Amino acid sequence: MIQTVTVSPGVTLRLFHDTRFKQGCLSIQLVRPMCRQEAAKNALLSAVLLRGCQAYPDLQTITWRLDELYGASVGTLVRRVGDYQTTGLYCSFLEDRFALPGDQILEPTARLLKELLLRPKLENGVFKADFVESEKRNLVLAIEAQRNDKRAWCSAQLFSHMCREDSFGVPRLGEIEDVKAITPQSLYDHYRRILKESRMEIFYVGSADAGLVTRLCRELVEKERGYVSLPGQTAFTSAQGGAWEETMDIAQGKLSMGFVTPANIRQGKAFVATQMMNLIFGGGMTSKLFTQVREKLSLCYAISSGYHGSKGILTVSAGMDWEKKDTVRSQVLAQLEAICQGDITEAELAAARQAMLSSLRATHDSAGSIENYYATAALSGLPYSPAEYMQQVQQITAADVAEAARQVKLHSEYFLKGETGC
Amino acid sequence: MLKYYPRLDEQLYKTVLPNGLTVMVCPRPGFTKNLAYFVTDFGAIHTKFTLDGVEYTAPDGVAHYLEHKLFDMPGRDVSAEFAALGANTNAFTSYDITAYYFSCTENFESCLRLLLEFVSTPYFTRETVEKEQGIIAQEIDMTADSPDTAVFEGLMDNMYRVHPVSIPILGFHHTIREITPEILHTCHRAFYRPGNMVLCVVGDVKPEDICRIASEVLPREDNAQVQLQRSWPEEMTVPQEKSQRTMEVAMPMFQLGFKAEPRERGEEAIREEILADLAAEALFGESSGLYLRLYDQGLIDSSFGGGFETIEGMAMLTCSGDSYEPEAVRDAILEEARRIVKEGIDQAQFDRMRRSALGRRTKGLDSFDSTCFRLCAYHLSGFDYFDFPRLYEDLEVSQLQAFLERVVTPQRCSICVIRPTENS
Repeated sequence: MIQTVTVSPGVTLRLFHDTRFKQGCLSIQLVRPMCRQEAAKNALLSAVLLRGCQAYPDLQTITWRLDELYGASVGTLVRRVGDYQTTGLYCSFLEDRFALPGDQILEPTARLLKELLLRPKLENGVFKADFVESEKRNLVLAIEAQRNDKRAWCSAQLFSHMCREDSFGVPRLGEIEDVKAITPQSLYDHYRRILKESRMEIFYVGSADAGLVTRLCRELVEKERGYVSLPGQTAFTSAQGGAWEETMDIAQGKLSMGFVTPANIRQGKAFVATQMMNLIFGGGMTSKLFTQVREKLSLCYAISSGYHGSKGILTVSAGMDWEKKDTVRSQVLAQLEAICQGDITEAELAAARQAMLSSLRATHDSAGSIENYYATAALSGLPYSPAEYMQQVQQITAADVAEAARQVKLHSEYFLKGETGC
Repeated sequence: MLKYYPRLDEQLYKTVLPNGLTVMVCPRPGFTKNLAYFVTDFGAIHTKFTLDGVEYTAPDGVAHYLEHKLFDMPGRDVSAEFAALGANTNAFTSYDITAYYFSCTENFESCLRLLLEFVSTPYFTRETVEKEQGIIAQEIDMTADSPDTAVFEGLMDNMYRVHPVSIPILGFHHTIREITPEILHTCHRAFYRPGNMVLCVVGDVKPEDICRIASEVLPREDNAQVQLQRSWPEEMTVPQEKSQRTMEVAMPMFQLGFKAEPRERGEEAIREEILADLAAEALFGESSGLYLRLYDQGLIDSSFGGGFETIEGMAMLTCSGDSYEPEAVRDAILEEARRIVKEGIDQAQFDRMRRSALGRRTKGLDSFDSTCFRLCAYHLSGFDYFDFPRLYEDLEVSQLQAFLERVVTPQRCSICVIRPTENS
């Protein structure tokens, strides 16, 4: 079903042939280590590439071209996958069969991608200064705007404190001061270097013939490369845990709790058991956090947990009347303890299993989810195809889930509260 | 009854059952996921109605409250039953509809029965209704901290004096306290009748199975007499042209609205809506000259966007984003509209925009959720959604100019700005 082509050392093209969709997709990822020195540049780079190239020198000409290509879209692709950060472009486009007779979409779209990626608009031999400056401003604003969503903010603050000795503590979009320090020259040098050195992942989903797609995708790769391989993914590097607080002018308090477990995505069964444990704990409307803390005690509207398998970090996020924070906190710990004690009903176990199976079965129902599954799995070290994954899920017992829960230890907390006297 | 739409390579089955329920099925052979929406033509704005000759004014927020409480069944846990079947279920309340849905990859028939059963079974006790107040109060507080919601609600408050869009979907702390089991029963009887609802399924399913199950589970008759307020007399000028407040935001954000005439029902109305969308695109879309200029000047950033929005009884052209000079953005938009009205836009640009809009809508059909939602929403507006390609054919530049001339004027314009508090 999936065909893998090594285009050149370090450059992999993965093709997923499927005729059921109205749109195809093509993604290009340059794979970098997630680190403070590069994060801001990697986050900025694709935005600058989308500002103009030699053939389409500004936003308007690019958009006009995309309009002509039946509303194709090209966007930035900046992902965090464990210790890696990827930077690149994601493109989705209407399948050729929906174009007017004689018109093509895939080929010209791939050519446009090539122009954007490999022939950027330059000025004095480096990126155009006003493109770089205005995208720097945009990126700084995007980083600052993270403060607007209080729940996400609280969770991001938890990560930056809890993971300060690990790559997970590096913000995905970089730090503001690092963005500000970037110059057209430094970004261009970085671009030239990573284009040649990086592991590159290209992914296609759609109905076109593999030969044609391979030919088009070879064009997306720099001719003279010097591939430098990356170190493998690592487990979480822990720093001293703690509890932090911040005060804001808000109506509702937010609490984020961070837990650690040795179980990570590269470990097969323990990973899958922890995923199921997470679902039973706080993964949806049948989870213990939802049914007990929200429905039974009416303490919260939003409360859930999440498992970051690449590092073995589990988080709980809740919004509550801030005077009730301690009650919510102790309820969260009580629910976790219950799972450790094996208090897992047949129904809870079945619900978690079914939820995972359903989501894995549906992986192949959209071009976007196909790309997301395979392009990420190739980097994270997930050892399964969806079918193998489902087999693992079938085998997890309540005892496995309780054992997974016993490995989970509270590490850090972050609390966002309203101003005193409100 | 199964119709094929060659330009989209889609099929749609549509029928009305004897009890009045509209059933739509979009078969998707070869896909594993099935998605079902069960939608009532009843949303947050529908608080004034007559049921069997008696007039009612329900408390603000009642539609949303009812949505939460319908998940209760005597001695059963609906969410747990869906979960045991491997399905995801949820619901949402908008200004003009309430939708309940599930998606699954197995056990479709049991899931569908469960959906129809729980939505059509009112079960409210004083105790459970009171308990919900704590949860919804937290939801109201959470929303109060969301600047996106605040800027929208602020704008609606500026623009509308009569239409209930200025009232939050969730209602207020004091109105949700007034909600009783009796009120919920009345609303359920008035609006959750089969004749007021649509069932829509997207997936690898057989239409006749859907109809059979719906006939078996739902009431056979629909005999309630309901009249509902669906239009609100509004001046086209805005009562208040500007408002602002402070919140914990990183930089100032704004939303701008231009009041337009409420949309009617039927194909002609949807064609106008598509035209209005193109007008928004020509005025401030990413391919417009204005967008590029404002972006280059740093007056807008990539958070900027907008379009034409309709809610029953109201319509507006709107855009929003972050900006240090929101009023300058507003003034530039007004000026650009005057220019387009005077000079027009060239035919090539118009054709490109049209082709792009059509392509993006077609691509959107890959999303089960968006397709299912749009099939329902457009059906309630009296239009068969899969007919959209036809609507793009005979649009003209002059119609676009006429729309901008009528709508994008200072008298119809209002802006709401959220500025950062001093310590943020």
